[in-house]
Amino acid sequence: MSSVQVNGSVAPTVRTPWRPRWLMVVGLAAVVTTALTVWLGLWVTPPDEVQGNLARLLYIHPAVATVALYWAGGVALLGSLLYLWPRTRSFFWDRLAAASVEVGAVFSALTLITGSLWGRPVWGVWWTWDARLTSTALLLLLELGYLALRRVPADAHIRARRCAVAAILIAIDVPIVHFSVDWWNTLHQGGTILDPGFNLHVHGSMLWTMLLSFVAFTLVFVWLLAMRYRIEVLQDAVGDQELEISLTERWNEDAELVGVGSGVPGGDEGQAP
Amino acid sequence: MSYVDAGYVAAVGGCFLYGLTLFLRRRRWERALAVTESDPDEGTIPPGARD
Repeated sequence: MSSVQVNGSVAPTVRTPWRPRWLMVVGLAAVVTTALTVWLGLWVTPPDEVQGNLARLLYIHPAVATVALYWAGGVALLGSLLYLWPRTRSFFWDRLAAASVEVGAVFSALTLITGSLWGRPVWGVWWTWDARLTSTALLLLLELGYLALRRVPADAHIRARRCAVAAILIAIDVPIVHFSVDWWNTLHQGGTILDPGFNLHVHGSMLWTMLLSFVAFTLVFVWLLAMRYRIEVLQDAVGDQELEISLTERWNEDAELVGVGSGVPGGDEGQAP
Repeated sequence: MSYVDAGYVAAVGGCFLYGLTLFLRRRRWERALAVTESDPDEGTIPPGARD
């Protein structure tokens, strides 16, 4: 597989390193808020009246799931739609969507893992074919499919278009995951913080810890997304360089062949050197 | 290790490990770009730079 195929023959030229200063601030804020969430979640908040200490898992699982579903899915959908829309078509959107899907896949996997760790002691099973769990697993599979599709060699525009369509398919699953607890009878509980009537289920330090966890994992997502986006930029830049090198080598080979051919009249122009 | 501890380790550790892989991948691609830009005649990606 050549690099030209991987990155496409018309990949945008990106020479300037993209290293924004706000990324370090976001990274530091993510570390601080995540550490605070762990401290509050494990040591400060009281055990739940019904679930005991197991309720502490709810300070991370809903936040991780929110990132996987809404933030990652939303950014991927937005980037893909803006790439497909002719007026806003830019490889920036394609890269952003790709970065978001990969980060989203990680968070989807973490959602399933943390959910299973909570489900085993509470439900008595690691896994069940519940609508919420199954649709979340489908989300992860779709995201992995997107990442596989992105590795299929193609022109950069064709690859971006394919992936944008795949991201829209992923986004279709997001509302299914969200409403699965309403549409079907599920073992999974309904809204964790708010019920359909927007009444609060959580209060006091438990509420603040949970809200902080949403902020923390959102910051983690932003930082990971930016880091992943930068890798996409670098991959395209290296692809451009390799394309230029390949073309230069090809031109040099052609020039040598022409030189050999002109130096030996009636000779073996057609043979490889 | 309790289920709670395992959940926190999985969530926070998973994010940390993924961030670490991104950091390493970024460094590899930056080196690959530096190689291709500095010497076009030897502009190949170092082994392992591909994802």
